[in-house]
Amino acid sequence: MTTLVEVKSVSRHYRMPREHLLRAPEVLTAVNSASFTLNRGETLGIVGESGSGKSTLARMVMAFEAPDSGEIRFDGTDIHALGASDLRRMRQRFQMIFQDPFGSLDPRRKIGWSIAEPLRVTHAETPAHKTAEALEQVGLRAADADKYPHEFSGGQRQRIAIARAIVTRPDLIVADEAVSALDVSVQAQILNLLMDLQDELGLAMLFISHDLAVVASICDQLLVMQHGKTLEYGAATQILNAPAHDYTKSLLTAAGA
Amino acid sequence: MFDLTNLSVHFGPATALREASLTIRPGDRLGIVGESGSGKSMLALCLMGMAPEAATLSGTLTIDGRDMAEATERDWQALRARRVAMIFQEPMAALNPLSRVGDTVMDPLRLHLGLSKQAARARALDLFAEVGIPDPAARLRQFPHELSGGQRQRVLIALALACDPDLLIADEPTTALDANVALRITDLLVRLSAERNMALLFISHDLAAVARATSDIAVMYGGDIVERGPTRAVLDSPAHPYTRGLLGARPSATSLPRDANGKRARLPTIPGTVPGMAELPKGCRFAGRCPVELPHCASERPALTKPGPDRSAICHVLSQEVSA
Repeated sequence: MTTLVEVKSVSRHYRMPREHLLRAPEVLTAVNSASFTLNRGETLGIVGESGSGKSTLARMVMAFEAPDSGEIRFDGTDIHALGASDLRRMRQRFQMIFQDPFGSLDPRRKIGWSIAEPLRVTHAETPAHKTAEALEQVGLRAADADKYPHEFSGGQRQRIAIARAIVTRPDLIVADEAVSALDVSVQAQILNLLMDLQDELGLAMLFISHDLAVVASICDQLLVMQHGKTLEYGAATQILNAPAHDYTKSLLTAAGA
Repeated sequence: MFDLTNLSVHFGPATALREASLTIRPGDRLGIVGESGSGKSMLALCLMGMAPEAATLSGTLTIDGRDMAEATERDWQALRARRVAMIFQEPMAALNPLSRVGDTVMDPLRLHLGLSKQAARARALDLFAEVGIPDPAARLRQFPHELSGGQRQRVLIALALACDPDLLIADEPTTALDANVALRITDLLVRLSAERNMALLFISHDLAAVARATSDIAVMYGGDIVERGPTRAVLDSPAHPYTRGLLGARPSATSLPRDANGKRARLPTIPGTVPGMAELPKGCRFAGRCPVELPHCASERPALTKPGPDRSAICHVLSQEVSA
């Protein structure tokens, strides 16, 4: 197993709104010295409630924002030290799936256009066969490329978002609450699809969710966050069978265990 | 107290709810489980007298023996808040952002109960304390955006409780909340139901929350109530193929889906997707997706069968097994 993503003591602070004119504003530590490694083809789950810092951590791995300290290496390269054009090229290798597929697909564009969007960064002409292939890999038809987002159900729209994420043949997918908005039976279909694609394409995945049961079904490694701190990090089976922290135990209770 | 008999809701040729029958008595805690388009929210809206204008309704709804067929909007207004109240899914969307939450809670007290401003304020304070809002006096003056998601949901519960309803309908009350907060809100609803002998209709797709909140459960699919029974019994041994599929598809945090080599196993799924309201099969709504389907399932409506004590389901396969 070779390392794909290496996150070393990464922290991120946000300045809070000023409460008093003459006093320094408070600082919120969104992520406090988080570290993990993700191997090729493996899945790391990050669980925590809103405000735990899990999305901030994901956004830093995607290089949407920079850490205040620490370092994030993707395939050996410090992504936050890259120049803008190098980063743009590198981005082809890590793609993101968001929670709300309706919000992340342009309603006025045919979905074929949206799926090919990541390709246009490096290709002047986007090859239609790549879009068609991606659509078929997520269980849709190549002809669906000419339809608009509103013609699809919620589950199908999430498949479209996944097609867009895999169209560049990335090494890493970051999925932030990617199945949280879906009905239970659709959720199972999408989780299975993600597992199939991982096996087929050798993808590594960073899977972020507040739902421990969902994370348990798909992840090899698990990282539990609360208030920006890492409470537990290790093999998913081990943490779920013998949670060391009360917070993890309470999440297990909430998941109906 | 609330009695639905063969209530159907049609939108032209499409059926949103088909011959739903349900009785709700004081103190009942009934869960309604189903996915998008199953008709569970439509059922709730009918109980509130708020079915959409475009809908055609048939069947009967009686409240305390009174047939609501002839009830006007004015009659319903007199019932809402006092007899039946509802908590909606999105606490941010359901609260007026320009109004202090205290004023929001005091409005129905003044309107429906005719309380003076001072009496309404005192009552609002009690309600905030009852639903576990810390420092209620200060909270009354705050705006919705100043509260956390869990606190907003508590404000909505206080608002729904304001006029002491006999039935509280909670539509996906925990969906937008963090796991631990959801747990506390669920427990709060159960406690309030017991303390006030208030019926609770808990609508959710979250099976863990329903298991915790309710004593009885109705599972809906494609506008039909496909299975009913005590919550524990239904979840432990689901009878209807849809209920079985739904429970199987839900991942579990304890029984990790791994095969013998420690590799991740795939989750059981229900094949296909829910058809649109107008494309549902005429017989059993689940036909076409059902793993144990019989030739006549798609065309003939299954009759009610009793798979166990206090339990019922509509399924051709089950009725064969029961009669065999």
